[in-house]
Amino acid sequence: MAASMRLLVRRAVRLSHRNITLTAAGAAARSGCCRGPSVCRCFSDEAEDRSTHFGFETVSETEKAKRVYKVFENVAQKYDIMNDAMSLGIHRVWKDALLHVMHPQPGAQLLDVAGGTGDIAFRFLEYIRLQEERQKRRAARSSQTPSWQDISNNYSTEDESRESRAVVCDINKEMLKVGKQKADSLGVSAGLSWVVGDAEELPFDDDQFDIYTIAFGIRNVTHIDQALQEALRVLKPGGRFMCLEFSKVNNPILSSIYDAYSFQMIPVIGEVIAGDWKSYQYLVESIRKFPNQEEFKGMIEDAGFYCVKYYNLTGGVVALHSGFKL
Amino acid sequence: MFKNVLSRLVTQTVRPHRYAPPGPVIQRLIPASGPLRSFTDRKDEAQPQFDASLLDVLVCPLSKKPLRYDAETNELINEELGIAYPILDGIPNMIPQEARLIQKDSTEMPTQ
Repeated sequence: MAASMRLLVRRAVRLSHRNITLTAAGAAARSGCCRGPSVCRCFSDEAEDRSTHFGFETVSETEKAKRVYKVFENVAQKYDIMNDAMSLGIHRVWKDALLHVMHPQPGAQLLDVAGGTGDIAFRFLEYIRLQEERQKRRAARSSQTPSWQDISNNYSTEDESRESRAVVCDINKEMLKVGKQKADSLGVSAGLSWVVGDAEELPFDDDQFDIYTIAFGIRNVTHIDQALQEALRVLKPGGRFMCLEFSKVNNPILSSIYDAYSFQMIPVIGEVIAGDWKSYQYLVESIRKFPNQEEFKGMIEDAGFYCVKYYNLTGGVVALHSGFKL
Repeated sequence: MFKNVLSRLVTQTVRPHRYAPPGPVIQRLIPASGPLRSFTDRKDEAQPQFDASLLDVLVCPLSKKPLRYDAETNELINEELGIAYPILDGIPNMIPQEARLIQKDSTEMPTQ
């Protein structure tokens, strides 16, 4: 029954643009599907291939990883343009908010997982550069006539102070390629590295990074709890975990507008700009399958993070979760 | 005031154009752009300058042990497990399934 409901939603989305049938079918499918995959998981837990959700579909876990890879391989070239089109540029505000809450200091080491095209890493390096300029200006203003001791101190700290670095890690080579091209065209290269890696099995040693970020990527990971454990492992004690992700909108009016926009507009924009309806259908469905703010906060705490809190952005469309490794 | 600024801008942009002789610029551009850029591009892709700093943090995702960079094959090698991770376009690929077994001839490791 759930399967036929899902098919109905698909057909309705593709053929008709009528508001009423769409939102009704969408709501029914969502309620049906929420029960479906959880039942499937109970039965197939013993089996070799566990099942999970890919949007509103139920697939095996290996299947999900492959399909997610394919989705991002297809959209990589148009990813940034689509982000601007879908969110009407608001995604920039969300990412700037992440940096503002992060407030990194010069010398910080960032690991940006599922960083893809490098948006967070670029913002991080820019933020630190501005911080350093501000600090230099402040120092210059206060020390107009430095003593010989100040001058000798300046010489020593220039070499010893650790350079801030951003490592962008993504499982998808295409996304990283696009990011690297962006970096080359912007002329950003110092302190920026690109690595192909799996968020569930990070190729980094323990206690390495000050900040771990994952922006709009964690809902695509097959085993979120494994990714959270890896995040805990690679962070230094005192390090901060920060996650930007689409979440639950509580206000019912905003929620209905958001749902209508998601299911009617976004796949259409995806088809027009990127020529890929299915990938963007997956996108909006995967948002609905992701746990809400409180549930995700619980998952982060279970992984071993402390002082976990979340900030709702744009009325809950996006939530910024933050936790510390102590 | 605006007109003054505008006129100053125009004269300032026009002046360097007048003074810069076109001859040597063109001569410099034509031989320099072609072979030099491709030379540096090829060098950048193969060059491990990024690798040196990355090697501080990169480890094998399976054993979490440090890796050795092999410049000839452009790979990161884990001697213990006998696997090599390829580097494409200067980006190391640290997915275990895409690593190469060194002893045998097979190109892919079996999935865990």
